[in-house]
Amino acid sequence: MNHALRRVSLACLVMFLLLLANTNYVQGFEAGKLASDPGNGRTFSQQYQYQRGSIITADNQTIAESKHIPGIYSYQRYYPAGQTYAPVTGFDTPYSKTGIEQAEDKLLAGTDPRLAVRNLIDLVTGKPRKGAAVQLTINSVAQKAAYDALKATGLPSGAVAIQPSTGAILALASYPSFNPNKLATLNGTQLNKADKKYLNSPQQPLLNRAINETFPPGSTFKIVTSSTAFSTGKYTPDTPYYAPTNLSLPGTTHQLINYDNLPCGSGGKVPLIYAFTVSCNTVFGGLGMHLGGSALRHQANAFGMNRPLRIPLPVSPSSYPPVSNPDFTAYSAIGQYNDTVTPLQEAMFAAAIANHGTLMRPYLVQKVIAPNLNALVTTQPTVLHHTVSPAVAAQVSRMMADVVAQPYGTAHDIVADLGGITVAAKTGTAQNGVNNTGLDDAVFTCFAPVGNPEIAVGVVVKGGGLGADASAPVAVQIIKAYMHYLNTSAKR
Amino acid sequence: MSVLGAAGDGAGSTGAMAPMGLAAVPLPRGRRGAELVMLAFSIGVVLFAYASVGLGLNGKVPTGLATYGVLFAVLMLAAHLAIRRLAPWADPLLLPLAALLNGLGLVMIYRLQESGRGGNPGNAISTMSASTTTFQLVWSAIGVLAFVAVLVVVREPRMLQRYTYTLGVIGLVLLALPALLPNSVSEVPGTGAKIQVALGGFSIQPEEFAKLALAVFFAGYLVTKRKVLSLAGRHVLGIALPRARDMGPVLIAWGASLLVLIFESDVGTSALFFGMFLIMLYIATQRTSWLLIGATLFVAGAYAASKLFSHVGVRFAIWLHPFKYANVFCGSASVHTVCVPSYQLAQGMYGLGFGGIFGTGLGHGQPYLTPLVQSDFIITAFGEELGLTGLMALLLIYGLIVQRGLRAAVAVRDPFAKLLAGGLAFVIALQVFVIVGGVTQLIPLTGITTPFLSQGGSSLVASWMLIALLMRISDTARRPAPQPIQEEGMTQVVRGG
Repeated sequence: MNHALRRVSLACLVMFLLLLANTNYVQGFEAGKLASDPGNGRTFSQQYQYQRGSIITADNQTIAESKHIPGIYSYQRYYPAGQTYAPVTGFDTPYSKTGIEQAEDKLLAGTDPRLAVRNLIDLVTGKPRKGAAVQLTINSVAQKAAYDALKATGLPSGAVAIQPSTGAILALASYPSFNPNKLATLNGTQLNKADKKYLNSPQQPLLNRAINETFPPGSTFKIVTSSTAFSTGKYTPDTPYYAPTNLSLPGTTHQLINYDNLPCGSGGKVPLIYAFTVSCNTVFGGLGMHLGGSALRHQANAFGMNRPLRIPLPVSPSSYPPVSNPDFTAYSAIGQYNDTVTPLQEAMFAAAIANHGTLMRPYLVQKVIAPNLNALVTTQPTVLHHTVSPAVAAQVSRMMADVVAQPYGTAHDIVADLGGITVAAKTGTAQNGVNNTGLDDAVFTCFAPVGNPEIAVGVVVKGGGLGADASAPVAVQIIKAYMHYLNTSAKR
Repeated sequence: MSVLGAAGDGAGSTGAMAPMGLAAVPLPRGRRGAELVMLAFSIGVVLFAYASVGLGLNGKVPTGLATYGVLFAVLMLAAHLAIRRLAPWADPLLLPLAALLNGLGLVMIYRLQESGRGGNPGNAISTMSASTTTFQLVWSAIGVLAFVAVLVVVREPRMLQRYTYTLGVIGLVLLALPALLPNSVSEVPGTGAKIQVALGGFSIQPEEFAKLALAVFFAGYLVTKRKVLSLAGRHVLGIALPRARDMGPVLIAWGASLLVLIFESDVGTSALFFGMFLIMLYIATQRTSWLLIGATLFVAGAYAASKLFSHVGVRFAIWLHPFKYANVFCGSASVHTVCVPSYQLAQGMYGLGFGGIFGTGLGHGQPYLTPLVQSDFIITAFGEELGLTGLMALLLIYGLIVQRGLRAAVAVRDPFAKLLAGGLAFVIALQVFVIVGGVTQLIPLTGITTPFLSQGGSSLVASWMLIALLMRISDTARRPAPQPIQEEGMTQVVRGG
């Protein structure tokens, strides 16, 4: 019987070898495929086994971090000032991500190839994997001022502040906002509840109004019209231009009127700088018709319109569509017709002028810091467009300064004394709805200080009425806070 | 030689360079000391794993470490002392291996029971309670008691031979019992398999004990009939077929296993019994033809069953396409979780894949996502948390147990004991192959317990009894004959026979 027993022993050996070979196949070769199968519930919680990198502001305030928690999910995302930074950070749920959490996900999660060597070292030394930290260009003081000011309006609104010389985004705020902490919960029921609440809210708190909602630019578009005119070399701010109370539009019975049907000047010709300062529609409507739709469109493109942008969050394109009829050209030249802009685009108008006609590419991520504190990526400012010549920029800048400085300027009363900080601005009141029956959107673009621009701001407050009324104070708050920050940090 | 040399070193400290040939032939040793050292190692591994679970789950060493650890250690040391007294010549490796498996099973059951506590209350395994581990520890104690009892009662393997037919009847009754009882008593909730006897929240799976009784019966029966059964009939394709009139026992065993398949919906048990019978028949007769006939019958039976009974056919479909339905909703209706058939297998495979080569570490994985992971699928929990490395180690432990069992079979002189040891060792191998192969998609999945690891008392107690029988046989094999021949000379012992 021993002979048979030896054979049985061989059979047992074969069975065990088969099992060993199969487990090697399953856990060695198929493991990756099985682990990443969409049906594998283990995978999504795996992302919470490692510490995700923090998101910090330019002035080193932590705005998103992963905190250790007991239980199967080792880490949970926490946003210390959730609502203020929500449009920037976005959220990080087990199912989806938005904002920087999405745009820089691989680096934050530590799965980016650039971190591979680091991960390998950690694997060998037995240290847990860690994500890289993302440092933004956002200044916490400016951001807080922006969100608080928008919140004070109580209206759907967005604001963006840019450093004109680099394109670094200093503030990017949207109201109403949401609390990303509610979506960062690892409790499925709570997550579902919060998700439903935000998705079904008529206020659309998840919508990033700073970069993903467009509004008519209104009179702020006169910056583009002026730039087009000055670039031809035939006009200066002092060129007198025909300024009727009503501008008849060719081929229609329509008449272009000024705000509240007010006359512009004494009814004859007025210098362009005056028309700009008091924001005459008839002057710029006529000027626009004269310049032509395609010239305006070309200049609008040079300000960054009509093209998508990634900062690295996807920005909805601001639009100046092709216009054929002269009458529509007149409307489009004063920011009506089908013109649409994001608050970011508003900031870009001012930034291009402030930076002597060169528009820098707006960006949010300053650098990515690996877990060993080495900078993995550092953003170098790049030029997006040579929008206008420095001379033209200086001319437009002079007009924008007058909007605030002249007693008759549309922003003079609202932009209060900023303690020696001069502001150059343009207001806009975009008419909405059928036959302009909707509430006007308040639009504002500006930069400061005029002589040495540090910050350019764009603000849109939906239904905020006259441009200067609702949106200018928001910009003022941001400038005030940021300039104060610059002064105090310089002293330090 | 090394053993002899070592003994010589110890004794030969007085006489310098005593030639080995002149030294007195040392008494063969039972190697109980080695057993104790290895047992201590096993206990150490188990305690370490237990602490590791606590650290993995909530960063703290479990509070019960001292209590449970001491209880487990005392239990295993008791088994060791019993062996010293009752089977001093038995194989020293079997107890430490069994203790290691039993202990790791306890640790994993504790880990699965705990996964619903603390940080993630939503992940409790509904089929487990806070006292599951305590129950399993009590069952371990009963298992060790049964182990000792077998060693006490069965002083000689041959004495079991007297009860061949009694045990045969008992085995058949145990096997048939669940099929005869009403579903409410015998059906395992949610599986459709009628394999238990449940009374008042307390259940026993009689098939586990039937396995032992029938192994004894097969051994006793085949030993007496083996001469007849090995007579050759016609030769077909170079293979000597048995005589047609001797086909009776095979057909009866085949029929019985099919009845189990049909009336208890239990493919695993059915395959296990028929496989055990076939191998013992082969060992008894040394005729390959029996294996071929048996395998043909089994495949034919299984094929027919897969066509006739949906629950068998579904198993094949799942095996071939486990991920086809994997993402389908697995929700709870009334009392029990209702899942699409492949959900469990797919989740188990996901767990294995998630564990990869090194595993997540105890307490760091999510084995609770696999339904009923504490019983049939416990091997996937090990695969997930200890990785391929841990799984291979477990398989090697089983392999070693099987190998030591077969070694005892080869070494023992009594044909009955030889047959019994061979059958028991093989049945462990087959059981491990069927369940581990099933949950790793090597073969169609059939639900049977993983020896020593799965939650459940019957399997654990029966496994301990099986180890006791193997140790008794190995004790008999290694016991020095009245005139000592040679230490450790297991193969030499049989020179006369």
